[in-house]
Amino acid sequence: MHNSKAHIWFIAPAIILMIIILIFPLFLAGGISFTDYNLGNKTFEWVGLENYDKMFNRKTYVKMIWATATYVIIVVPISVVLGLCAAMLLNSLRFGADIYKTIFFLPVMATLLAMAIAWEFTLHPTLGIVNSFLANGCGGVREFILGFHWLPWVDSQESWYAVACANNMDFPYWLKQKNTAIWTVCFIGIWQAFGFNMVLYLAGLTSIPRELYQAAEMDGAKSTWEQFKLVTWPMLGPTTLFVVTITTIRTFQVFDTIEILTKGGPSKTTYVMMYAIFEKAIQQNLTSIGAAITVVFIGFILVLTFFQRYVIEKRVHY
Amino acid sequence: MEAKQYIGEGWKHAILIIGAIVVMLPFYMMVSMSLKSQQEIQSISGGLIGAQETQTFPVCVKTGYSEETCTMKPYQYNYWFAFEKAPIPRYLMNGVIVTLSIFIIQVLVALPCAYALAKLRFYGREFVFSMVLFCLLIPVHGIALPLYVMLAQAGLVDTYSALILPWTISVFGIFLMRQFFMTVPDELIDAARMDGMGEYAIVWKVMLPTAIPALLAFAIFSVVAHWNDYFWPRMVITGNRDLFTPPLGIREFRGGIDSDEFGPMMASIVTVTVPLIVAFIIAQKRFIEGITLTGMK
Repeated sequence: MHNSKAHIWFIAPAIILMIIILIFPLFLAGGISFTDYNLGNKTFEWVGLENYDKMFNRKTYVKMIWATATYVIIVVPISVVLGLCAAMLLNSLRFGADIYKTIFFLPVMATLLAMAIAWEFTLHPTLGIVNSFLANGCGGVREFILGFHWLPWVDSQESWYAVACANNMDFPYWLKQKNTAIWTVCFIGIWQAFGFNMVLYLAGLTSIPRELYQAAEMDGAKSTWEQFKLVTWPMLGPTTLFVVTITTIRTFQVFDTIEILTKGGPSKTTYVMMYAIFEKAIQQNLTSIGAAITVVFIGFILVLTFFQRYVIEKRVHY
Repeated sequence: MEAKQYIGEGWKHAILIIGAIVVMLPFYMMVSMSLKSQQEIQSISGGLIGAQETQTFPVCVKTGYSEETCTMKPYQYNYWFAFEKAPIPRYLMNGVIVTLSIFIIQVLVALPCAYALAKLRFYGREFVFSMVLFCLLIPVHGIALPLYVMLAQAGLVDTYSALILPWTISVFGIFLMRQFFMTVPDELIDAARMDGMGEYAIVWKVMLPTAIPALLAFAIFSVVAHWNDYFWPRMVITGNRDLFTPPLGIREFRGGIDSDEFGPMMASIVTVTVPLIVAFIIAQKRFIEGITLTGMK
């Protein structure tokens, strides 16, 4: 044992910074959200719950909550499932797995803002290769597959593809159209996130002992699906929980793609919370309403994380 | 049996290749546009690299260059004109300054704290550690607004400090290094103390070298996150071009999407994006390790 006071000097900077940069702002946001303070004002008044009242009753903010919820509910499950499927496929390959891994991980690495612009051009109605690919496929195999003509209940004259072909190549303006913008942004979100999940699942898969599969086979679980149900899925429980939580938290924070591609539009269909905070508080200088959104936002994330740590954690560990 | 396995393998590759094509689409588009001429871009012709015919570029002439200077191949023109139009090296430099400062300060703050939490016994240690655990829950982007208000009150908006200060504390770094230091044997530290080393010397001369692998992973994690970050610089840098980080630069290039030439714009975006992607491809394993660090418990 030693009696030096070194520890004070070691922990003091960290503690001071934690208080100033992380903890104090929580209270500051809480405080501002009960006032009518705007940056630059000399004085302010307490207005109680007025800001929150606006948030849950004004159309704009209701749309904001819808857009955020839609984005999270679409992106999280799909990117997690895709990540798992990709990991399992790669894990069962005999060769070439590393190349796919690198490719699928590229979107995670690349500057999202740059990639958003690249997607904007890829999906551009007149310059993009997606719509030109679709237009060139009218009446061919592409129309059959992507127009879902192979589904018995789809009329091959009235599928979305056929209609677009008939109307002078009227394919969607993916990011500019009310009924497609949010899905397109979700697609970019999934494109960006699933490689991250794949890597986490790959790590999870390697930690499953081989003997478990042999044991399962002896118990009569012969098919891949049965083995998945019996061994892989339960053993990946902790990984899944972690992947879901971290993806949810990241997804909630979506901003780059929205700011550069849609600015929350058209008609607020992609008006997610981070963008709302930015637009209200920074661009329109409505600090107090921005603070109220911040508080709700942090609330969501804290609840989610606590849920992960204390509720589910106990159930998925074997 | 053998044949069946090959068919199965073939199917898997088929699915993965389709996936890979979709994943690579925007990268293809980005590189292709940065190489082709405006006409080729607008008519979606010329494949990946276009015909590369030497030609005179009207926008360049309009900007005031002589016709001779403006006559070259499209790929040369796109990259040359991108650098003429925007201070790209400055943006890249800012990116380096900001990410490196953040990382260095993070280490200077986190390492001693992690050491104290892992190896020193003092009153209140458990409390400090639970504070770290609590702070781990706070999403820094989530508290951006109050941080912005604080910086604005301090008159720091539009400065390097605004870009760096909020990220100087990495509770994740503290947590990570503490977990790592827990595994370092006490004997090593005792021996150092016997040799008459002070606690400071122990942190930097004994603990730091043992922590290099963990530190490297953390470095990648931190640098990638802040190099790519767009939200925070967008909040605190309002107009001063000299402070633009690479993503802010990208946003500026995109500016006049309808009026501008797309080739030089994409060339600038490629230039800014490429350093990190090249680094990733060279040191893949380390990058994947670093970026998925948050996946460690």
